Amino acid sequence: MEKSKLVGSSLPEFTFRVEKGKIREMALAIGDGKKIYTGTEEAKELGHRDVIAPPTFGLCIDLWGGPDFMEICRWLGLNPVKVLHGEQEFEYLGDICAGDEITVSTSLAGYTEKKSMHIFSIDSAYTAAGRGPVLKSRKTIIELQ
Amino acid sequence: MKTPLFSEINIGDQMPALVKDPVSEVQLVKYAGASGDFNPIHFQNAVGKMAGFGGVIAHGMLIMGFVGQAITDWIPQRNLKKLKARFVNITKPGDVITVTGRVTAKRIEDRENIIICEVKAEDQNSQVKVEGSFEACL
Repeated sequence: MEKSKLVGSSLPEFTFRVEKGKIREMALAIGDGKKIYTGTEEAKELGHRDVIAPPTFGLCIDLWGGPDFMEICRWLGLNPVKVLHGEQEFEYLGDICAGDEITVSTSLAGYTEKKSMHIFSIDSAYTAAGRGPVLKSRKTIIELQ
Repeated sequence: MKTPLFSEINIGDQMPALVKDPVSEVQLVKYAGASGDFNPIHFQNAVGKMAGFGGVIAHGMLIMGFVGQAITDWIPQRNLKKLKARFVNITKPGDVITVTGRVTAKRIEDRENIIICEVKAEDQNSQVKVEGSFEACL
């Protein structure tokens, strides 16, 4: 199938509930000991509603809440062993805190072919229930030939 | 944490460097569980060897996580508006990652004080793993 025809197609929307323990687990895995990720009181003192998600937490929402890697491969017709994560962008529109219900919509924003590579730009928009858009992301996936 | 003042930041200023503990295999397992990225190349040596890396390799997003840590050690996270990373080399257990950054531009836009910085994560041999940029509103 001509891959460029997939541009504009999207994945089913999903909703993910952000748990305090998941934020803590992510911060500990990174080795970031800032209290804003583990202490509700400390986060509130800084004006947040609860502990906040670290800057790269969007990936965790994608992978735990949304379709898994193999489903993404089926969507885009990718050979899983040839796939690399080339680039990642986040735009922060609001904080994501423990307790938030985040709804994510994902679509293929772009496709290009370069030398022996297929390059996919996948955009996601993250909306918190009752608060509106909080995050945008763009993931660049490279499939080697 | 004291938020840096826009008026006191100059183009070329360095962000305080963050030197991480060596990346460990246990950390990769923890990050797999935390992120939900269970590609076995990150925790099964045999898979890493098959792929030609001699063993497991770190998740690129873990190294981007280090970059996020360095930025939010310097400026409060609520001030961070955009973060962009390009994954340029693989990281292996034992690598010691240092994150550095530098202010490349500042501007006032819609009454907001914006700084733009380039940022990179390198190992003990100065091999760049992740390079990117971020934008913050001060």
